[in-house]
Amino acid sequence: MPVPETLGPRVALHLLNRAGYGPRPGDLESLLDTGPTKWIEEQLDPGSDPELDTRLAGYTTLGYPTSQVLALYNADNRTVGVILDEFLNAKVVRSVHGRNQLQEVLVDFWFNHFNVFVNDGFDRYSISSYERDAIRPNVFSSFRELLGAATLHPAMLYYLDNYLNTVPRVVSGRTLGGINENHGRELLELHTVGVDAGYTQTDVVEASRCLTGHGIDNIGQTGNYLYRSANHDNNAKQVFGLAVPGGGGESDVQKLLDYLAVHPATARYISKRLAQRFVADDPSEALVSRLADVFLRTNGDLREVTKALFGSAEFWAEAFGAGKPKTGLEFVISTLRAVGANVQIPRTARTAIQDSGMPLYACNPPTGFSNRGADWMNPSAQLYRMNFALDLAAGRVAGVTADVGGLIRSGGGDPGNPSSAAAAINKVVFGRTLSAASLAAAARVTTSGSVSVQARVAGLLLAGPEMQVR
Amino acid sequence: MTWDVSRRVFLRGAGLAAVGVGMAPSSLLVRTAQAAGAGPKVLVKVFLRGGADGLNFCVPYGDSEYYNLRQGIGLPRPGQAGGVVNLDGYFGMHPQFAPLAPYFQDGRLAFIHAVGNPGLTRSHFDAQDYMESGTPGDKQTATGWLDRAIGQIPGREVTQAVSFSAQLVRSFLGPEPVLVAQTLTSFDLRAPNWRAEAEGRLTEMYQSDSTQVGTTGLETFEAINTLLRAPAPLPANGAIYPAGNTGNALRQAAGLIKTGVGTRCIYVNVGGAFDTHSNQLQGNINDYRPLGLALAAFATDLGGMLDDVVLMVTTEFGRTAAVNGAAGTDHGTGYAMLVLGGRVRGGRVLGQWPGLSRSQLYQNRDLAATTDFRDVFQEVARAQFGIGASLFPGYTPGAGVGVV
Repeated sequence: MPVPETLGPRVALHLLNRAGYGPRPGDLESLLDTGPTKWIEEQLDPGSDPELDTRLAGYTTLGYPTSQVLALYNADNRTVGVILDEFLNAKVVRSVHGRNQLQEVLVDFWFNHFNVFVNDGFDRYSISSYERDAIRPNVFSSFRELLGAATLHPAMLYYLDNYLNTVPRVVSGRTLGGINENHGRELLELHTVGVDAGYTQTDVVEASRCLTGHGIDNIGQTGNYLYRSANHDNNAKQVFGLAVPGGGGESDVQKLLDYLAVHPATARYISKRLAQRFVADDPSEALVSRLADVFLRTNGDLREVTKALFGSAEFWAEAFGAGKPKTGLEFVISTLRAVGANVQIPRTARTAIQDSGMPLYACNPPTGFSNRGADWMNPSAQLYRMNFALDLAAGRVAGVTADVGGLIRSGGGDPGNPSSAAAAINKVVFGRTLSAASLAAAARVTTSGSVSVQARVAGLLLAGPEMQVR
Repeated sequence: MTWDVSRRVFLRGAGLAAVGVGMAPSSLLVRTAQAAGAGPKVLVKVFLRGGADGLNFCVPYGDSEYYNLRQGIGLPRPGQAGGVVNLDGYFGMHPQFAPLAPYFQDGRLAFIHAVGNPGLTRSHFDAQDYMESGTPGDKQTATGWLDRAIGQIPGREVTQAVSFSAQLVRSFLGPEPVLVAQTLTSFDLRAPNWRAEAEGRLTEMYQSDSTQVGTTGLETFEAINTLLRAPAPLPANGAIYPAGNTGNALRQAAGLIKTGVGTRCIYVNVGGAFDTHSNQLQGNINDYRPLGLALAAFATDLGGMLDDVVLMVTTEFGRTAAVNGAAGTDHGTGYAMLVLGGRVRGGRVLGQWPGLSRSQLYQNRDLAATTDFRDVFQEVARAQFGIGASLFPGYTPGAGVGVV
């Protein structure tokens, strides 16, 4: 695997920006010391993170099963607000402070791939379980395990209406229930083989028939997965080349997932999505093919596919490209990390992410948020990002403390001297990749007035073009 | 994707010229007052993302099959409780569009039924892509149809095209500048006590970046300055916009039109619950109530300036003609469009009605599409921008449906 033996600061910054949410102060130096191979290995096999555990210790509801959330809600409907608040805050804290950065990025990536919508009724109560039980444990599993966990989780069964997808039954002359195509279609289009795989409307209906009967025991009280055989269409099905014999009952969906999880079209589709997230908006055909080969050879071992990404020449070549525009989440988290922020109350950061067009867990359509950086470049998003950076540098982000002066001193700079401060930030935050124009602009800031030099210099550099890309 | 950067730079200067350097807000208001009905023509596209069901949007209550297909989710006939608002004795509009009834009566509102996408797909993604690129069946088209349209009208100020959306929409993809914003309220750099310096230094930094990041940064500063110099007026004529994204976007859209910052094309992205796979009746009420109120407020607010505007409401596909097992409908084909404007030839439901009997349905399941959406888009672009040549590569649009 052609991981470079030694890294310059530009390449080290690239790795931290792509495999994680960017460097915290000291991360660049530390990576330059340990070398990329060991760092990548550690990230692919995440260990314990006691510091993060301590930070999350006060978040007592993160482990609640859906049934407990519902019980608390039914006793007092204000409780769900507290529970959701902790869930959303934990996302920010883990991303900013967690040492297993690749794991956090992958949880975000796979959640988005198997998107559900936090404001969709029952999903308010089950979304925490969905990420915790279906997504997070499986980002380094096989794709089949991840697919199975996501497909049959009550949050997904609700979001894509599969809890209503039943064989039509005639009861005293009236037809009750019927096929609901929503989940069957998105399973093919978005979750596995992709829209260009060549399946037909008939395949959508047949996939939906396999999914009939898989639902939720009681949406208002317990919220657990339940298969109801009476709601299942038990006749034979034919889905996109797979023959499912009649009488299979609840195993129909397992056969379908077994088949789709290692389908060559799935291997390509998933590989392309991963390459889009980690390498480029329009990844090369050669890279997608190689990743798809690894996917098929390993039966969809996601650790191996992810590892192959970092072993690709395309990944490392991107260190010298124009960069991939950050999403709103990536910008806010990376900026907080850049200044070594201590995030005590993440609410303001969450608002900034939302204002950038990416409200956490609140992408309504099943497509999830775009993986393409270009889609996140627009004046409104840029303005919100610049303002967040200016606020952060000036100490105006509520609930967040950041020692910008200390950051500058850690890079050997003088916080009161514009060019010295800019040089230090260039070293610690940007791996010396800032353009001459950016350094010159920062060096020319006013040194008098009510706004400190360090707030001006750090504000400009964090709001500038280099911070907008990863 | 990279664009010809030379066409996009120096936007800031262009924006200032459009407004008039040094023009006081009061003279802008004077210009606004004089401009009623004689200003630049504006196209507004409201996109209902998710596949809005045409049959409960513009309801064919006169088609006997409608109530057979829609058991449990059929909207009652006009005059009945919860019934549709009669349009022409055969079609009625969703009851939540009642605030728009006066505009249909005086001929400024039209519906077009059974519009559709000839590159048939029931994928949200593909159908939206085809509708916005304007090239059904071809996903490789690099530009959006509105980008191609505004490329043919003079002026390059960033406020010429405005998209109220969280992201750049596919319709605007391409080399023309577009201001994308969820809201234009407080659209300014937040650098108290050093704002001018921050803007100056950041402009230098973004000018030196030759990628999309740099050009977008310069567009941001241009937009800030244009909007600061031409603050949007308050709603006029007693218009009251409903709370929520659609109302906010249309209020700001009317503000841009009234202010006269050169805006010719506005896109309002509506991300409601149009993908009504279940419980459709309630979902439609939740979405159409603010939509009906917002459109009526928009028309009220603009007053005579509505003569300059053609607003069309569209979606990516219709839904199955029959109810599914969950009091909802699945992805389908033909849908209905709504068109509002002072010079719209309204008071009619346009298009060819294909019927709802099983043999008339597309693939025995969907409302068939009898009008290619590109014909309508071209017709509106012709009326508002004077564009005669096809905006749709590989396709020669027909005469349209006579809506404008």
